[in-house]
Order: sequence, then structure tokens, then C-alpha cells
Amino acid sequence: MLAYVARRLFFALPTLLAVMTLVFVLVRIVPGDPAQTILGDQASQEAIMALRERLGLNRPLWEQYVDFLQSAITGDWGASMVTGQPVLGEIANVLPYTIDLTVASLILGAVVGIPLGVWSALHRNRLIDYVTRIGSLLGLSFPAFVSAILLLLIFSIYLNWFPVISAGDRSDPLERLENLALPAINLGLIMAAYITRVTRSSMLNVLGEDYIRTAQAKGLPHRSIIWIHALRNALIPVVTVVGLYLGILIGNSVLTEIVFNRPGLGKLIVGALGQRDYTMLQGLMVIYTFIIIIVNLLTDLTYGLIDPRVKYS
Amino acid sequence: MKQTGLITAATLAAGALTLGLGGGAALAGPDTNILNIGMASSDAGRLDPHLSATTVDKAVFGWMFSGLVRFAPGSSSPESIEPDLAESWSASDDGLEWTFNLRQGVQCHHGYGELTSADIVYSLERAADPDRSSFSSDFEAFETIEAVDDYTVRIILSHPVPSLLGLVTNYQGGNIVCAAAAEEMGEDFQNQPVGTGPFMFEEYRPQQSLSLVANPDYFRGAPILDGILYRYIPSDSARDLAFQSGEIDLIYGRQDQTWVERIRELPDVTVHVMEPAEMSVMHLNTSTPPLDDIRVRQAMAHAVDREEFMDFKGRDTARMSQSIVPQGYLGFADMSELMPAFDLDRARELLTEAGHPDGITVSVIHTALPGMLSTMEVFQAQMARAGINIDLEVVEHATFHAQIREDLSQVVHYSAARFPVADIYLTQFYHSRSIVNTPTGVTNFSHCADADAEIDAARVETDPDLQREQWETAQRLLMENFCSLPIYENLQIWARHNYLDLGYELTGSLTLGPAVTEQTQFVSN
Repeated sequence: MLAYVARRLFFALPTLLAVMTLVFVLVRIVPGDPAQTILGDQASQEAIMALRERLGLNRPLWEQYVDFLQSAITGDWGASMVTGQPVLGEIANVLPYTIDLTVASLILGAVVGIPLGVWSALHRNRLIDYVTRIGSLLGLSFPAFVSAILLLLIFSIYLNWFPVISAGDRSDPLERLENLALPAINLGLIMAAYITRVTRSSMLNVLGEDYIRTAQAKGLPHRSIIWIHALRNALIPVVTVVGLYLGILIGNSVLTEIVFNRPGLGKLIVGALGQRDYTMLQGLMVIYTFIIIIVNLLTDLTYGLIDPRVKYS
Repeated sequence: MKQTGLITAATLAAGALTLGLGGGAALAGPDTNILNIGMASSDAGRLDPHLSATTVDKAVFGWMFSGLVRFAPGSSSPESIEPDLAESWSASDDGLEWTFNLRQGVQCHHGYGELTSADIVYSLERAADPDRSSFSSDFEAFETIEAVDDYTVRIILSHPVPSLLGLVTNYQGGNIVCAAAAEEMGEDFQNQPVGTGPFMFEEYRPQQSLSLVANPDYFRGAPILDGILYRYIPSDSARDLAFQSGEIDLIYGRQDQTWVERIRELPDVTVHVMEPAEMSVMHLNTSTPPLDDIRVRQAMAHAVDREEFMDFKGRDTARMSQSIVPQGYLGFADMSELMPAFDLDRARELLTEAGHPDGITVSVIHTALPGMLSTMEVFQAQMARAGINIDLEVVEHATFHAQIREDLSQVVHYSAARFPVADIYLTQFYHSRSIVNTPTGVTNFSHCADADAEIDAARVETDPDLQREQWETAQRLLMENFCSLPIYENLQIWARHNYLDLGYELTGSLTLGPAVTEQTQFVSN
């Protein structure tokens, strides 16, 4: 398996290089100027041009590209063009918040979504199934920022259980949990909705398979048939969906991060894009691509854990 | 921008929900002696007072840094300028030599020693250096800055600058940095800025907050507050909710009547509507057809229903423009008589006279920022009534700024506040040197150059009456040529819980954020 992992990581290198190149070109094609952002709207064209010169933006594009690649390979991602803070430092500051939020919402989504999906499949076309399906559909269609505001109104303003501002000190476990609760519930419920629907559909397929009927004919206990024989096989598509959704979640949690005022990668990407912070965007996109590669790899490895027939060669 | 739109939608929904559900009980006050401020931004800019010109950073610099002189807390009027680091000053009769006598015993933050004239010289030279400052052009008349002795600074000018005191207030390039700290830290100075103001830099958390701690050695006395936690909260709804829950004591408000009315309904809350105003102006590009014909521009002026704009923006947060220079600025002249009356028939007549009986189409690039876009949409609807089709291309905000500076929009809607002296507004928006897409360009989108002589003469005029006359003439010339259509002036909005006593009467703040002084404190309700 180690050889498989090493090979996958090796083949990820061209992907990383392609992303770096694409991001480098794209951020420079989009209209807008980091020098203008830094100097503000009262700056003269002369001042803007002088700053562009200092930032190295007036050099030929290929020269900037070679510099960028050299720096990236040596681990020097430079400083944010706007704040002047080191890119890696800024990413390292917010990454733990993103990981906290992603993992917490994944756990919540799985804990709620898988049993609900199984339950719904077992009660197909009965009231429980209808309620679960409508509920999960609502979860998918409800905009994250609306549910976020409703959660804030109920739990922060009226019940006063949680703070409105979900930033704060991560070193204090209680404060960390307090700040994580509402954003994780907000994203976790959306994830639960996805997982419920995929689990239900996958379970329905599996429950119709011959081997399930065989197990039933052999008189195996119902619980064992459902949770061991059926669910294990039904989980492969669920893991695929979770893997895909995790990738989306890391970048797309921006609305939740903004409403709960929580630091995170998504918020950093949107901010850097708005300010045309080239160095920050380049660093973020590479990190983001790397995370996606790792998540995909972990997803593939999980298949083997669930289904022993899956071999890595 | 889709996300910005979603956030806006969320804000509106939350606004309705938040205040529709009632304000709840008045808050007793914070548990700590730290002032929590909520700012509408996702993050800080550069925390160097000579580099950053963004709204989000300006207020912070006002709390950390001092100037040779300062605007009295709560005021943005140049008439309120009072001593700060300088106890007194004098100018030669020709206005070319200024001498400042410094206060003794002023301590730099974080143990960087006593501030002397060497720090003032270093700081002003730094502000005048284009490699280290965004405001270097403000200091172009500074020939020499010298330390006569430890507590005396002399500035020699190449030509008189009547508003010189404005350049040495604790605002933009006038913020005094401590030389030893700036030299020692170099570019890293922005990560730990050192000044002499009532609050000192403590910690910056990206995307979260900036912590300032009280300066126990502040020369006016140690602040009553222990510190300030300046929180970056981009979502309007989250900021409002945090204010309502008491997590925020002082909040940056929306320039919006409904917001003001909603927040005023909360118990024991004061909403401050303050100067300086940001004037919303439609700049007409006079160098491209059909706007190169004054009759067309005049027709557009007649098609603007400014009363309707006032109803739309709200009378508490906006006031009607009376000139191309905002009211309250030194040199402002009331030009209401030159504002064409709303008259659609006359507008159509003028278009016909100009050879456009079937109307015209004008291409406009505009930002997707909701507050500005809504104004442009109203303008578009008003123009349509007169047969003027505004072909609107909505782009993301950074793209908007780039494209209007490339001269790609025939009408540019711009909203801005500047240092409250007519010269700044007139020079940046109407002087030929500032025409966009030229090497010296700033924000002259109209290409007007009708009043260069008057603007230049007023800048160096030492007789205040003559100077006012020249500024008035400049405003008249530019308005008669319909270079732009001033619409309304948006005032700055902040709100605070009444348990917070600012320590002064708040009518304005040049930094666009209320001053937090050594006297600011929490009081019981």
C-alpha cells in the first residue's frame, strides 16, 4: 500500500504544477491591481506604478513565473502583497480553524446522516421515509447563510448559549468547543442531508441484492444483516460523496465563516481575491489543491478498509 | 461577487429578523474594561500609518499615533485643530517657514524612549518618501525638515501651503512614528507599529481582531480603558447581532436609513451620524461623444431627481449636495442655484437640440457593491425617463477600480470623503493633472480642466478671503460646464451602547471612526 501511496503522491506533482501555473496566469489576467488596493483610491498613477515596480509586477511575466516556481520549490511563499504578513504564516494561522470546522461537521454529518439514511431505507415509502427525505431535501436547499443567521438568533441572542462571534482562543478547549458548535452544526446538518440521501439510495440498492436475500434465508439476525452485510457495502458511494464534499467544504465554508466571523481558508481565499493579493492567492490555491489530493487519496484508501476486495496495486 | 450578494441578502434577512424580533433588555455593560469595536471588514490592511489609506486602518492609527497637532476629539473641522505633540507653533509672514515647539517627556510605546524632534524629522521625511509612504505627494512642498534642538522642529516650504497644519495632524502622513522602532524593525514595523498615542499595539490576529492595550505613559494621562479589541466582522448581520448581544460596544454602521432606524429601536443605544460626508457624484466623461456636448450633460443634470434620491437614501443619513465640494469642507461654496431643476421636458428638449431626438445610450461600468449599485440603479431609472439609456456593466469592486482608471466608463459613480479642504477634492477630481489614464492621474474621470488656474492659485494663496474666492470660482466654472452631477452626501454612521461614554461630543472624525481617548470609559446605565 505504501508503494501505492507514494505513486499517487508522485503523480500528483504534475497536477500541482498545472494548478500553480493556472493560478499564476489567472490571477494576473483578471482586471484589478494589488498596488491600487494597497495604496487606496487617492493614489496617483505614478505612485501605483512605483509600487508595482517595487512589488516586481512590472517585470516580464515569465521572469515572475520562474521566480514563483523557484520560491515555491524552496518553500518560500513570500509575503502577502496587501498585509505584508508571510503567506505561509497567514495560512497556518487559519488552517486549524478550517480543519476543526471540517472535521466537526463531517463527524456530525456522518453521525446523523448514516443512521437516518439506513432508517429511511428500511422504512421505504412510509411516513418516516417521507419525513426523512423531505427533511434532507430541506437541508440541501436551505442556504447556509440563512440557517447560520437563524442559529445565531436562537442560540446566541435569545438563549444566550453561544457567542455571536465564533473566533477566539483555540488553546482553551472549552472556548474552542463553544466557538465551534454553531458553525459545525450549520455545516454538519447540510452534510448530514447529503449523507442521508446517498446512504438511503445506496442501502436500497444493496438491500435488493441476492446476498442479502441469502443471508435472510440463512436466518441471520436482522441487525447483523443490516449493519454488517448491507451497510458495509452501501458505504462505498457514501465515502465517495463525503470525499468529494469535504473538498468542496474546505473552500466553500466561506459563508459560514463570514456569518459566524470565524477565520478560515475560504474567507482567506475570498479576501485575497477581492484584494488581488497574488502571492496569497497562489499560496492558498496550492495548499487547497494539495488538500484535495490528500482527501482523494484518503478516500481511496478508505475503500480498502470498508471492502477487503479492493486491492491497491 | 455572488457571495457578496448572498451576504447582502443575508444581511437584509437578518436585519428584518433581528430587529423584527425585538431588541430585548438594555445591557448592563461589559465584564471587562476592554472596549470591543466591530468594523465592517474581513481583515486589516497594512498597519503602517504611512502606507495604508484604507478606512479599516485609519481609525486604528488615530488611537495609536499622535501628530504635531490634532483635530479635537469628536470634530473633523479644520477650525478645531489643537496642540498635540507640539505645544505651540509659529509661521513666518510669507508662510514658508514653520516652527513647532514640542511637548517634553512624551514617551514612545514599548520602551522606545522619549520622543524628540529627531523623531518628528524622521517621521515626516518618511511620510514624504514615495518608497515608504502612500502620501508622499502631500509633502511635495516640504523643502527641509530640521531639528533645531531636541524640542524644536523647523519646516521650510518651497511655496506656501495654507492648510499646512492639516498635513501634520494625526492623520495619514502626519502620524508620527518613533524613529528607533521604525529603523530597528524596517518593513516589519507594520507588524508592530510604535507611536505615542493613548493605546499601544498588542496583538494582531489575521481575519479576527487587533488588540490594543492602554499606554500607561500617555502624555495626557493613562487611559481609563484597559484596551481596545478591534474586531473585523465583514457580515453586517453578524456585526448587528454581536452588537445586540453586547459582544460589541461600538459598531460601524451602514449608511442606510433603515439600519439607523432599526438600531435606534434597541434600548439604550445611541446612533451617531457624523462628518465627514462622502459625496456621491456622477462624473461625466466630457472627452467622449455624446457626453462631449454640454447640452447632453445638461440634459442629464435635468433628468436627475435629487429629491427622489433623498427619499431613497433617507434624510438621517444623507443630505443633498450643494456643490462639487462637500459641505463643511474649508472652501466649500453653496452652488445650489447652479443645480439644474428636475425637468424631464427640458432634458428631452436639450437632447433634441444636441441632435439626439431619440435619446442616447451611455456605457457605464459599475461596482457590484450593493450600497453603490443601488444608487446607480436609481440613476439608471431616472435617466431612462428622459430617453437616456444607461448601458450598465456590473463588475466586481477591484475590477471596477481598475477599469474606471483605464477610462473605460463614460459615467463614473464615485463616493468619497477627503481631507476637509476644498483643494484636495478639486485637485483629485477636477485638475488636469489628475485625469485618469495619464502618468499623474488620480480620479479626474470627467477630463475637465476648466479651473486649473484657480485651483493652483488657491493652493498657495495666503490671504484666506482671496483663497475662498478662488475656490468658489473654481467650483462655479466646473459646475457651469457640467463636469459632474453631485447627487447626495452620505454621512458616517456609528452606534454605541449607552454604557460607553466616549468622553466628548461626537460630531465628526477625519479617520471615519470615533476617537477613543484617555477619557473614554464604561459607565453604569
